[in-house]
Amino acid sequence: MNVINVKNLTVTYNKKPAIKGINLDISEGSIIGIVGPNGAGKSTLLKAILGLLPIDTGEVKIFGKEVKSSLKRVAYIPQKEQFDWDFPINVSEVVMMGRYPYISFFGRPDANDKEIVNKVLKKVEMDKYSQTQIRNLSGGQQQRIFLARALAQESDIYFLDEPFVGVDAKTEVAIFNLIKELKAEGKTIMIVHHDLSKVEDYFDKLILINQILIAFGETKKVFTPELLHRTYGGQLTILQKAEQLIVN
Amino acid sequence: MDILTKYITEPLQYEFIQRALIASIMVGVSCGLIGTYIMLRRLSLIGDALAHAVLPGVVIGFMIAGKGALSLFIGALTAGILTSVLISYVERNSKIKEDTSIGIIFTGAFALGILLVSQLKQVHIDLSSYLFGDVLGVSDSDLILSSVITVVIIISVILFYRQLLVTSFDPTMAHIIGISTAVVHYFLMTLLSMSIVAGLQSVGVILIIAMLITPPATAFLITDKLMKLLLLSCMFGVLSAVIGLYLSYHMNFASGASIVLVSVFFFGLAFLFSPKEGVFIRMLRRKKNSKINLTEDIIKLISKEEYSDNSGLIESISEKLGIPKNKIFTSLSRLKKMELIDQPNGKYELTEKGRKVAERLVRSHRLWETYIAEKNIVNIEDIHQEAEKFEHILSDDLLSEIDEELGHPLKDPHGSPIPKKH
Repeated sequence: MNVINVKNLTVTYNKKPAIKGINLDISEGSIIGIVGPNGAGKSTLLKAILGLLPIDTGEVKIFGKEVKSSLKRVAYIPQKEQFDWDFPINVSEVVMMGRYPYISFFGRPDANDKEIVNKVLKKVEMDKYSQTQIRNLSGGQQQRIFLARALAQESDIYFLDEPFVGVDAKTEVAIFNLIKELKAEGKTIMIVHHDLSKVEDYFDKLILINQILIAFGETKKVFTPELLHRTYGGQLTILQKAEQLIVN
Repeated sequence: MDILTKYITEPLQYEFIQRALIASIMVGVSCGLIGTYIMLRRLSLIGDALAHAVLPGVVIGFMIAGKGALSLFIGALTAGILTSVLISYVERNSKIKEDTSIGIIFTGAFALGILLVSQLKQVHIDLSSYLFGDVLGVSDSDLILSSVITVVIIISVILFYRQLLVTSFDPTMAHIIGISTAVVHYFLMTLLSMSIVAGLQSVGVILIIAMLITPPATAFLITDKLMKLLLLSCMFGVLSAVIGLYLSYHMNFASGASIVLVSVFFFGLAFLFSPKEGVFIRMLRRKKNSKINLTEDIIKLISKEEYSDNSGLIESISEKLGIPKNKIFTSLSRLKKMELIDQPNGKYELTEKGRKVAERLVRSHRLWETYIAEKNIVNIEDIHQEAEKFEHILSDDLLSEIDEELGHPLKDPHGSPIPKKH
């Protein structure tokens, strides 16, 4: 079954097209990497699918329905710069936001919500820090709590925007193991990623994008020097690095 | 004591003071609550803008419905909401940025208000009390109005706690889970306009923004929990309003100015003395750290020179560390009290406990040297200097992590052995 359908999607930023004519059919139970150079529209693609940006042309469907009506089944982990880390909020309050879709309009979190928050905090090994204000966490810990929030949301689709930036090696492994667990449960995970060295280990499928969709398919088939060259164009340094990796 | 009691109770016999006091408390609470969200959402500029922009609404309200609390309320509310809509509209539909858009719209609205006041003789508005507040002239209907406003604001903040929280902290998440950030924004703008109306009588248009942001900012320096922040900013708002009112009565100060200055005074206190962030407290902490650094340096020195002739003599320690003798003496006494050193034959020697501390310091120093050399964080010539600073602050956890990351090295870059952990 297709989880996400994107048909002929075009988004313009300040009158310039950011992404153009993107077509994607994404099936459930896979880990998909979105790869491309800076400014290629990776985050734009995610945000447009989520309805966070106005769409010029095209259509997005999630679970075969309008985006708006199925958004609650999507968990999104934005880039870290997006947050005000001085905000007066602690770890368990951030994670509790994942339960908001399940709480009625004037309701309060119940015992079950609190139990789930504790459970996911344990899962990401952050239960010790539940009362800590978020400024006082390391980069890796900050990323863990946003993953915990996504887990608490019990969604079917997970969107992660550069989750491994500013994160220690140990956390990267821990996060990735959790992502694999999600996949085993049949969830769909889309990750914007820029470090080409891990692409083959991490992703089942790959979206190569540079404003237009260069390629979408099994990582083995798509992660080729020729396609990467087309994706990265003139950016030779990255390309050289990537080609070297493939030779090795 | 009697004088103080009199100072407090004497004004209370006047009804207009009682009314002023209640009005001040209302302003403290309503502005404290809404101001917290205004501060967190970085809308201070919009707050100031709306305060000015309600003037034409007030005048038109009076023209249509005559002078009264209700026409003031409806006029101001309409003008406030219209202004906030216009500001976003201009920003969204041109390349003008938000701050510029705010500047254009609110000065325009304010100017329109002044023009209306000066042209329409049948509407008599005392512009100066409107601008600077006149808390001693609060009428009964004003009081009822600000009570209603305050109650509405308290209930809204409680009922919509989650909606306000998620849209303030993470608008993207709010969108995904189906909470409209635009609806919440205009709802907040409505509450903001209401709290401005409540504050007009006491502090006036020019200074109301101070009641909206100074108490929350003061509270923000003291706590990093939202609940406490809301309560503390109400508390500071109320305290400022009440103390300011008394000062205004006894010293014959302008009420608005006096209230605002008290709130700024509280902010100054928090800025200097807040237990977490205060400038003064941070200075004390630095001083304490430099004391710890000195005692640790002494331990290291005694350990290093254990077998040389003039080791453990105050003169030699003072000379080697380049620190005056009296300071060294104070530190030595402290170390003795902590049983880290002893003075069996006139010279200072490390105790067993002191030796362990010395060894930990050496471990910390050499591990850090190895780490920064390996990671090319600083030039190799500078690693010793760098480690001199860091040896004092690295925690046991972090040291273990570094040790592991480096694969448990036996020697530092200079070839000296790294002591094992005890």
